[in-house]
Amino acid sequence: MAQTHSQTQGAEMPVMALDRILSMANQIGDFFAPYPPERRAEGIRNHLRTYWDPRMRDQLLQHIAAGGAGLAAPVIAGARLLQDESHAKPGYYGPPKA
Amino acid sequence: MPNPIKPEKSVITTCAYCGVGCGFKAETRGEKIVRMIPWKEGKANHGHSCIKGRFAYDYYNAPDRVLTPLIRASIDDPWKAVSWQEAFAYAASEFKRIQAKFGVKSIGAVSSSRCTNEEIFLTQKLARAVLGNNNIDNCARICHSPTQFGLTQTIGAGAASQHFDSILQADVIMIVGANPTEGHPVFGSMMKRRIREGAKLIVIDPRKTETVESAHCRADVHLAIRPGTNVAILDSIAHVIVREKLYNEAFVRARCEVAEFDNWKALVGDDKYAPEVIGPIANVDPADIRRAARLYAGGPNSTIYYGLGVTEHSQGSTGVMCLGNLGLSCGMLGREGVGVNPLRGQGNVQGGSCLGSWPHVFSGYRFVTDQATRSSFEAEWGVTLDAEPGLRLPNMLDAAVAGSFKGMYIMGEDPVQSDPNQHHVIAAMKNMECVVLHDLFLNETSKYAHVFFPGSSSLEKDGTFTNAERRVSRVRKVIEPLAGLQDWEITVKFMNALGYELSYDNPGEVLDEIARLSPNYSGMSFALIDQIGSAQWPCNKDAPQGTEVLHREKFPRANGLGTFMLTEYVPTAERTSDRFPLLLTTGRILTQYNVGTQTRRTPNSLWHPEDVLEINEQDATARGLQDGDWVQLASRFGQIQLRARISKRVNPGVVYTTFHHAKSKANAVTSDLSDWATNCPEYKVTAVDVVRIRAPAETESFEAARLEATE
Repeated sequence: MAQTHSQTQGAEMPVMALDRILSMANQIGDFFAPYPPERRAEGIRNHLRTYWDPRMRDQLLQHIAAGGAGLAAPVIAGARLLQDESHAKPGYYGPPKA
Repeated sequence: MPNPIKPEKSVITTCAYCGVGCGFKAETRGEKIVRMIPWKEGKANHGHSCIKGRFAYDYYNAPDRVLTPLIRASIDDPWKAVSWQEAFAYAASEFKRIQAKFGVKSIGAVSSSRCTNEEIFLTQKLARAVLGNNNIDNCARICHSPTQFGLTQTIGAGAASQHFDSILQADVIMIVGANPTEGHPVFGSMMKRRIREGAKLIVIDPRKTETVESAHCRADVHLAIRPGTNVAILDSIAHVIVREKLYNEAFVRARCEVAEFDNWKALVGDDKYAPEVIGPIANVDPADIRRAARLYAGGPNSTIYYGLGVTEHSQGSTGVMCLGNLGLSCGMLGREGVGVNPLRGQGNVQGGSCLGSWPHVFSGYRFVTDQATRSSFEAEWGVTLDAEPGLRLPNMLDAAVAGSFKGMYIMGEDPVQSDPNQHHVIAAMKNMECVVLHDLFLNETSKYAHVFFPGSSSLEKDGTFTNAERRVSRVRKVIEPLAGLQDWEITVKFMNALGYELSYDNPGEVLDEIARLSPNYSGMSFALIDQIGSAQWPCNKDAPQGTEVLHREKFPRANGLGTFMLTEYVPTAERTSDRFPLLLTTGRILTQYNVGTQTRRTPNSLWHPEDVLEINEQDATARGLQDGDWVQLASRFGQIQLRARISKRVNPGVVYTTFHHAKSKANAVTSDLSDWATNCPEYKVTAVDVVRIRAPAETESFEAARLEATE
């Protein structure tokens, strides 16, 4: 049914307020903080990939492209892996697989 | 004269209140229920019951029960009674109009843990197969979503490891953030029975609950922590276990990922988690942390039961992982008498979690991003499914406020009353163009709804519930649905109106579909349950009558091993200040249930006519308060008025209330913070202040009474 309709009208509008996106992303970063940098980044990537609506991920990545103000550095590193095809892996539970 | 309450007919069914899921014989005379008798063959309750299941059934017959479908174009218009057909057609045309204008993803659906497994499964099918997106969530989002997340990460299954009877083999019982004598009374009685036989009891809870001390129940150790320090205290218990080498090395080597165990030991073994460091942070005696750790590790059989006091925090998922880590480290999993077990609030929270009513997973917690899983559903349903996770309930509300989300089908839920930060929820509701509410009563959310489908109570329909011990039991129709349709029929007819052809002769066929698509339910059927009474999942060809204890040989993870997650304590952003110096936490009372929609419509309200604020004498004196005074309770988000009760159950600095009455509007004060992994709201910690006020004026109490009546 509505599958055929374009989503462009939705895409022009941010899916939700940016501060919600940033605070959620930083909270995820806080959880993975005790892991070494490579695993930390992968933990953040896997979480964003498997639990976040793609529009929320896009909004986060656009903000990072614009400088990423207000985001912790490890969150930026983890989110950037979403754009790296060589890092793509199926969603999983458990500790981050670096 | 014939006795007007003498039953003529008896039907075995399952109680719809808490997650214990007691079996009952519902007895009727004509089309009226005259009594509920606990069923002695019920494997969850063995013939016992509580004051809710036994007596609070009359809500189905309440005078304000809605029996006709209603529609209206604007929330400012009065409701218009219409036929079922007209209501389905109107809701479907609105959803189609919105999707055409704002995109496929501008609509979503929410199901409830008061619904049957079959209804929950149908609602997610409606979202995925008919609306064409994964914007599907259920109310476990706001209670036990961290359980699914945290337990799956560590022990591989987001469910209780044990059956209830297992507690009769336990030597040490650890209760964290739960109050089973009030919230899960039939299980609470079984726990007390074991305590009378000599089992030791550890309670971690900010409040001196009835589980800490009441008849036949006294905690050997009570850690009355400052709200929000669960992870700190659990890491400190783990610290003692690591530093005093109390862990079960043989179990860990045989059953767990040893490298992750070593990483975990390094983290929790660090000096920063020593009881002497954490004690002052959590406001407990370090010696008590050591006693709790030694008792738990010493067993020989130690078991953990926990509730929303663990999950409803910004580190809720981390807290659940802490419990998984503890169970694994001490080898307290995989046999009777041990385990890690969530106590579920509503009758079918476990079913809601199992059956894919989530934006990121299908039934059995399998990711929507997984091609093979998705294909199995596509083949059965004959449509292409969205390969990306959808919006979670709080994200739907955020998106509605932002203007990108415009319509919602809400089955058996009342987000305006139940969800946190009420002002935000109302703003979201007002921003939507079509809210379809499917419920028994015109609840708080109905003020913002455009279509109302009058639902059926659990006494008026067929289906199954999955209780907190993974037990699938039958819900049987006792009387005919008062509004004409069973809930599952309403959802199916709504799907038909949206243009998706499907039909079932009875909900047993929906359970058959669930069984075809869900490995843990593959052996479930109405026929099996009718034959053996109930069955715990996994129920499949290896376990044709179900499984009482999980993890006996291996954990349901790819390599079969349990694993440890690193659980650093991150204090919540919700802090006390000069303006809001107290921490508010919440709980339940025995005679009422959740937001009271059902129990308040019964004589049970005689026992608990209003919510009160428990406050320590020291804090009360500092505010010139006496027992019974009216107070204003204020947070950064809003304020409410209620009566104060001076109580020794709460420590200085902590206040406590229940949330059973709509008029007390507890969620007007709760914050917008949520769990890092699941967005489960942080209901259990809110910085507040309390000020004495004069009793509310006549008009205000009249307003409160009106609100209560219409809710």
